[in-house]
Amino acid sequence: MFELISPLFLSLVVGGTFIGIVFGAIPGMTATMAVAVCLPITYSLGLENGLALLLGLYVGGISGGLVPAILLGIPGTPSSITTTFDGFPLAQRGEGEKALRIGIVASFVGGLISLLVLWLFAPALADFAIKFSYVEKFLIILFALTVMAALSRDMLIGIFSGVLGIFIALIGTYDISDGGNGRYRLIPPGTEYWLDSGFSLLPVLIGLFGLAAILEQAERGVPKGHSKEDLKVGGKSTFSFSIFRGQTLNLIRSSGIGTFVGILPGVGGSAASILAYSNAKTFSKKPEAFGKGEPSGIIASESGNNGLTGGALVPLLSLGIPGDSTTALLIGAFTLQGIQVGPLFIGNNPDTWNAMIFAMLVANIAMLMMMYVAIRYFALVVTVPKHILFPVILMMCVIGAYTINYGIMFDVWTLLIFGIAGWVFVKLRLEVAPFIIGFILGPSAEVYFVKSLESFGTLGIFFTKSWIAMVLWVLIIGSVAGSVLLSRRQAARDRAAG
Amino acid sequence: MDSLTSITIDFERSHLVFPRIVGVVLFDLLVAILIRDRRRIAGAGTYWRDVMAEMDKVRFFGTLGLTLLYFSLMVPVGNIWPNTGRGFLFCSMPFVMAIGLLYMHERTVRKAVALAVVAVVGPVFVWWLFTYPFFLTLP
Repeated sequence: MFELISPLFLSLVVGGTFIGIVFGAIPGMTATMAVAVCLPITYSLGLENGLALLLGLYVGGISGGLVPAILLGIPGTPSSITTTFDGFPLAQRGEGEKALRIGIVASFVGGLISLLVLWLFAPALADFAIKFSYVEKFLIILFALTVMAALSRDMLIGIFSGVLGIFIALIGTYDISDGGNGRYRLIPPGTEYWLDSGFSLLPVLIGLFGLAAILEQAERGVPKGHSKEDLKVGGKSTFSFSIFRGQTLNLIRSSGIGTFVGILPGVGGSAASILAYSNAKTFSKKPEAFGKGEPSGIIASESGNNGLTGGALVPLLSLGIPGDSTTALLIGAFTLQGIQVGPLFIGNNPDTWNAMIFAMLVANIAMLMMMYVAIRYFALVVTVPKHILFPVILMMCVIGAYTINYGIMFDVWTLLIFGIAGWVFVKLRLEVAPFIIGFILGPSAEVYFVKSLESFGTLGIFFTKSWIAMVLWVLIIGSVAGSVLLSRRQAARDRAAG
Repeated sequence: MDSLTSITIDFERSHLVFPRIVGVVLFDLLVAILIRDRRRIAGAGTYWRDVMAEMDKVRFFGTLGLTLLYFSLMVPVGNIWPNTGRGFLFCSMPFVMAIGLLYMHERTVRKAVALAVVAVVGPVFVWWLFTYPFFLTLP
């Protein structure tokens, strides 16, 4: 492993973390966008160095969101929504710097706890998953899709979005290398030349997370940037680690919630921080202080959303199922280097696995050091004008889409198609995360389903193959039933509230 | 029971098995959504009118138009100097400048000059990075 960790490797982690923080700190830009924009740069870096950059971007991007959340009351990334609840009131009282440092330390702890879970849990899960046949693999994908849909704002729309993603992913040839018959399907007449292999994953992702985000900003008139005067960094009271006295349980619980939410496929950081925050409020001795500048709220929110980082990598590296939209993009980095992620990944690539763990550790330490020491300077990032940033990002999106398959112009058009689709999805209230997971897992789901039927000749095999299959069905039914129950309770509560 | 669940897949038609199942599920879900949300869907006209009324049409459609123009011109311009990536370079500069001006709120000479510097330096740097160290030919 140590021969992989070169000065270049370390520089890429630290540089990636820095760029990630910058992206996260600018409202309207996310960790996912940072990874999407920088993905083509990983081409010539090799797998480990490329992952070093991307993991740094991921950790930095999630962490950077706390800057505008605290100083402006605007979450830099969706995962920082709950940080605004207590961070902004503190900043308004002239304690912005203190609030920022509370968030930074909590982010660091959340990141480390989730990293520990990743390190311990992913190899064990992968070892277990190696025993899975096509039947269990198909059921795992079905389970992932139902969990994701169940946790969507609207389960029916969530399932529809996921199935739509699968449907779009099936466009193209039934690949011979996957055991298919090499025939076209779902291709409109006259488009065979372009859609022979369907839509490429990365242009689709860059379109949905890069171009669509900029279209959304354009629709809202590209809100003006903020001036230095808007930033309430303050200096009234100084940060002290004594603030964390009595917060151990909150830190561990919130990081654990974030990690668990990360493990669930397609559930984003906003769910992690909201769950962690509401739990911290429920178990607090002074819940009435939440929302008025309570440090426990910032600690819960930030340790929760950074807990996501390691958690989301668990299903990716052990099952090949991305835990969130950013880790979905990491699949692209593996694909670029010709590596398939799944149960065999860790066993076959122990050096890469160790390098990833080390990169995550360095990224968390770099994030803590950079943000803790230079938070006043990072805060200024919020003032960078969007009329300079957005055109450059658009250009980088084009580069990313074009170079992904070594220069195919159709991939650039795919970027535009899915950029517009991403904007329309938001307007139609379709869910992007289930769509993406469906799009990524669709072709595998097809292979596992069809090959299972070809081998066993009966649909009953999906229920009777093994005890694992039965347990997975219980989980699938449980996730759907749980979601229906929760939504009914919510509806009853809404009715009661008038 | 076994005969009810048994299935034989003809390899020659196996490419249609999964897309058909997914298509049927998708259609059923669509019907379920249409039935459940019929009132909301019936009021979609008002919703879209509101979206259009609140939209910054110049910036939104300007972005779409400029992006479409950018993508359309890149290859024809690149074909003038084949395999050099100059199509990307010479199209990206005006694109970055035009989008930047579109997104700028108070347009001043100072801001425009700063943007112009970025519009030249950004694409040149990216073009150099991909052409020389990365050996990837741009359009």
